[in-house]
Order: sequence, then C-alpha cells, then structure tokens
Amino acid sequence: MSNDGKVHCVVVTPEKTELDTVCDSLVLPLFDGELGIQPGRAPMVGRLGFGILKIRTGTSVVEWFVDGGFVQVTREGVNILTDSLVKPSEIDRKQAESDLDRAMAIKSTTPETAALKERSLAQARAKVRLGS
Amino acid sequence: MANIRQLDKRRKSVKNIRKITRTMELIATGRFKKAMDRAAAATDYTKRITAIVQDLANSGTEVSHPLLTAHEKIDSIDMLVLTANRGLCGGYNGSVVRAATARRAEIMQQIQNGEISVSGKRGISAMRYAGIPIEKTYTEFDDKPSFAAVARIADDLIERYITGKIDRVDVAYTKFVSVSKQVAVVETLLPFSSLAVPSAEKATGAGAASGTSAGTKDDYEFLPSASAILEEVVPASFRARLFKCFLDAAVSEQIARMVAMKSATENAGDIIKSLSRRYNRARQSKITQEIMEIIGGVEALG
Repeated sequence: MSNDGKVHCVVVTPEKTELDTVCDSLVLPLFDGELGIQPGRAPMVGRLGFGILKIRTGTSVVEWFVDGGFVQVTREGVNILTDSLVKPSEIDRKQAESDLDRAMAIKSTTPETAALKERSLAQARAKVRLGS
Repeated sequence: MANIRQLDKRRKSVKNIRKITRTMELIATGRFKKAMDRAAAATDYTKRITAIVQDLANSGTEVSHPLLTAHEKIDSIDMLVLTANRGLCGGYNGSVVRAATARRAEIMQQIQNGEISVSGKRGISAMRYAGIPIEKTYTEFDDKPSFAAVARIADDLIERYITGKIDRVDVAYTKFVSVSKQVAVVETLLPFSSLAVPSAEKATGAGAASGTSAGTKDDYEFLPSASAILEEVVPASFRARLFKCFLDAAVSEQIARMVAMKSATENAGDIIKSLSRRYNRARQSKITQEIMEIIGGVEALG
C-alpha cells in the first residue's frame, strides 16, 4: 500500500465495481470483529462478516452495508469483494426476517450444515439489526 | 384485377413486418451492448477472487471444501436450464432445451432422482410439452439478471449439496464464446471442479498483475485463518460462476435475437422485391390488355 497518507479502496461485487475511491482510513466488518485500516497496512487477506463498512475521508464518514466476502490488502490498496454493497437504509428488513426464519429452520446435523446455518443466521441477523 | 390488389396487400403487410423486425433487431443490438457491458463489469470480481485463491494457494493452504469433494454415490442430480422468456430468437431456446433433454435422458438411464428447474418461459413450455416434470420455474431473469436473485438459487443448491440431498448439479445454458459463436452446453457445476472461474484468466491479461502486484511476492496475513477464508471463497466463487452462466445466457440471447431479426429483415426485403416485380408485371399486362381492347374496339368501329 502506498504511504502517501491515503488508502485506495476498491469495492467489487459480482455485478460490477461499486466503489473506487481514495480515503484516509476505513473500518471493515471482519468475520470476528471490526478491523481498522490505515495507510501502510501490511498485506493481508481477511474474511468479511456482515456489517457496516466505514470509509473516512477528512471528517466525513460514509457508511455501507457489506454482505460478506473478503478483503485483500495489497501494497497498492484495499480490495473488498462482497456479494452486495448497499446503503444501510436500503436493506429490506422484511426479506431479512423471512431469511432469518429460513435459516432457523436449517437442521444442523453435520459440521458442514452447522457452518452453513451459522453463516445464514449471521447474515440474516445483521440485516434485521441494521435494516429499517 | 383481384390478383393485383392481393399482391399490393401482401406487399404492404410484408413491409409492416419488415418494420417490426428491423426495430426488434435494433432493440436487441442495444440490449446486447448493455448485456456485454454487464458481463465485462462482472469479470472484475472473478479476477480478484482468482487473485485471492492464488494467494491462498501460494501460502500452502490445503484446499478442501465440501463443495469441492465429489459424493461417492450419485443418487440424485439436479439440473438447471436457462432459456429466454421470449421467442423470435432463432434456435436459441431450441438448442438449450435439446441439450438439456438429451442430458436428462442420459441421467434417467442410471438414476431416477433429480429435479429440473427451468428459467425462462420458453424453456418452461418446451419442457412441459415434452412431459418433463419441472420442480422450480423462474421467469424473473430477463436481459439483466441480478446477482441477488442468482445468489438465492446458488445458496439453495449449496445447501442441498452439502446436506447430501443432491450429488451433482448440471446447468444447461448457452455459453458465450465470442460475438460470432455461442454454443448450448450442459456443464456440471457441483461438485465444483476448479476454483478459478473460467475466462477470468483470459479476460485478465495484463490487468491481472495489479491484484498480485507484478512480481513482488507479498506475505499475506490471513484473518482469521487461511482455512476460514477458503470456507468462504469456495461458495463465493460458485455463486460467481453460476452468475456468469446467467450473464452468458443473457448475452447469447440478445445475439441470437439480433441475428434472427437481421435475417428476417433481409428476407422480408427479398419478398418485397419479388412481390413488387410481380405486382408491376401484373399491372403492366393489365394496361397492355386494356389498350389492346381499346384498339380492337376502335378498329371494329372504323
């Protein structure tokens, strides 16, 4: 990552490149907690959870909802790969609630299904929590 | 007399048809360009996911995931057939349906289980006509398939595969090879064969270097761990792969319609030409005949 005091952040979804911006720092919702990234961060690959991505430029902070995926920090910048990037206000809460019910109904009998259920639950819960 | 009027009527109706087909061709061309742009925009994701997989592989992580392992005994095979909602696109729907039914006949010889899901009204009616029971139907995918909707189907398939309800997933769709070549294929998507999404390699070319920073090898830190990331990478690339099938189908549909409508317009032009010729000839002979009659009448009088 460049050391000019800025972070080059690119957010990509399977549909298109949603965001390509330069900011001062950002906070990522990782799988097991939040992670702040400032210029000069060592290269890493992280698994994203479901939550709010905060992009800070100067004093303004832009918030986005990140729907799982990964983050790759390289020398050039931060690449975020996620299924969808939406404003927190755009989350469909009703859909999330029905997804939560569906996730609850998954029977976890093997480690694989347990992991699947856990993931679906985390996704639906985050959306219900943040949705309006 | 009646013949001339009939010819004129037919010529007018063919002209109308030509107008319609030409408009449809123009619309298809516009949609094709948009669909191509969408497909191009989608390659960025596959490119970057391939870069991450590359990093994982370089770190020496053992690649194993329930979606990557083939089930020992295959009892049930699901098939997804991607067709168009509308016709008038040449052999597009027919060839996909033909490929799908051929594969189904093959499957049915060995095992009796397996659901067929069809996307697109044309495919649905063709399958119904063939007497093949359809489990799920989707008609919401037009020329702009949304990832959210595709991801739902993908998640459903992942769940069914992991829980052991199904042992294989086939997808019948029209693969986009180039602007002048699209082929109807049946591909096995699960068990997931390779993590690298096809065409990602080709499409990246020079751009691929930017992800992994040309030449310099970075020692990546994996949070929380390489295996946890792998757990997420595999379903994500499966979803991207399925989405690519939908995008390919959408692009191919527009191309097929464009080509079909272009030849329809040309054909209408040919018909108009020959009808005009016949009409003019009939008119001329009628005039000649009338003159002959008048001259004959004058001569008889004189």
